[in-house]
Parts: sequence; C-alpha cells; structure tokens
Amino acid sequence: MYQTFSALADPTRFAIVDRLLKQGEKSAGELGALADISAPAISRHLKVLREAEIIRQDIRAQSRIYSINPDAMRKIGIWIEETRQFWDSSLDRLERAIEREVSK
Amino acid sequence: MSDLTFTRNFKASPELVFDFVTQQDHIAKWWGPEKMHCPVLNMNLTKPGAWLSTMENKDGQHYTVSGEVVDVDPPKRVTFTWAWHDENDTRGNESRVTFEVTSDGSGGSVFTLTHRGLVDEESRNGHEQGWTSSIRKLEKLV
Repeated sequence: MYQTFSALADPTRFAIVDRLLKQGEKSAGELGALADISAPAISRHLKVLREAEIIRQDIRAQSRIYSINPDAMRKIGIWIEETRQFWDSSLDRLERAIEREVSK
Repeated sequence: MSDLTFTRNFKASPELVFDFVTQQDHIAKWWGPEKMHCPVLNMNLTKPGAWLSTMENKDGQHYTVSGEVVDVDPPKRVTFTWAWHDENDTRGNESRVTFEVTSDGSGGSVFTLTHRGLVDEESRNGHEQGWTSSIRKLEKLV
C-alpha cells in the first residue's frame, strides 16, 4: 500500500499518471515530452510506477507503451477507506474512555 | 471523496472532551484501532508543535504518521497536519485534521472530526488538475 503512495508522491510521476488517466496509453517518448527531463530519468520514473503496479507496459513493434493499471488506482480508494477505519475505531475507543471517566 | 467527517456525542463537558483529544496521557487511551498497538506516541495537541505516532499491527508491520499542530483554540478547536510515512520513512502527501468540540446545550458535547485533503494535492503542487479529478476518473474506470 505504501508503495503506491510513495510512487505517486513525486510530482513528475504524478504528472505521468495524470496524463495516462486523462489521455489513455502513451509511449515513453510521448511521456518524456511532458517534463523537461532526460530519457533515462523518465525511464527511472516509469520503472518506479511499474514496480508499484500503477502502470503497465506493453511492447508493440519495438516501442514501449504505457497505460494505467485499474487495480492500482483502486488501492487509493482502499487507502482512504483505511484512514476512515482508523478514525472510526479510534473514536469508538475514545467514546468508551470518556464513559469510564464520567462514571468514576 | 477526499474529505472525511465524523460526529460523535459525548455525555461529558466540552472541557473534558477537549482534554481527552489533546493531552497525550488521554490520547494514549484511545489512539489507533483496537488490534493495533502503539509503541511510539508523541502527541501533545495542546500547543503548536510537531507530533508523531508509530503503530504496529499483529504481524509486526509498522505504520508511522506525523504532523504539526498549527492552530489551537481551547476548549473548542485544534487543527494539525497529517502525513503517513512510506517504507523509507519519508512523509507522503500532507492532509489536515481538525477536532472541534461544542456544547450540546444540556451538559454534553458534540465532537466533530474533519480530515481534509487526503488525496488532493492541487494546492500544494499547483497541478492544474489534482487528485480529485484523477479520483473521479478512476471511479469511471473501475
């Protein structure tokens, strides 16, 4: 789970994911044109995103095509849900702690 | 989608509830889900300053979250920043939590917790479209 979030914390990687979400699949070259950075830097970012399983890579006619992995994006929803559960169960405990204090 | 809000009613004065949600000794009684254990809790929300907590689940996995108290108005309101740490202990996207306590008019209190900006980086990174729009898109995708 944390891999998803640390992968997306970087602004360049966020921009790559944002672009793929809005415009569908792209080649590494097209994604490189997004940001003023070198081809090796772009491939490093793409590797991080691939390892976090946020994007997928297909090789077609010797060019690498990237697209969003819908499963990874679902994880973000789950992560928010986990934060919600953190608060909900903490507040249940707070409620019991206050009840104990008041009935003293 | 990117904001969470919780409201609870307590049969205790706003002063007591505020103490319970801002003083470390009291926070230790309720912080974190039942099945988590909390080896590090450094949280004094009664005045501006940094806070940090590390939780551990039954499999020994650690989850650290930290932030800074930015605004306190006892016994009514406290606001602090919040970010989960990644596996390299780097803080991720920062969000913001507010605890608000008001009187219910008959001796008890209404407690409201708001967690804002969990997935919205628009204001921080100046992205034309931030998390909110991406999330809307993924809702269509999945």
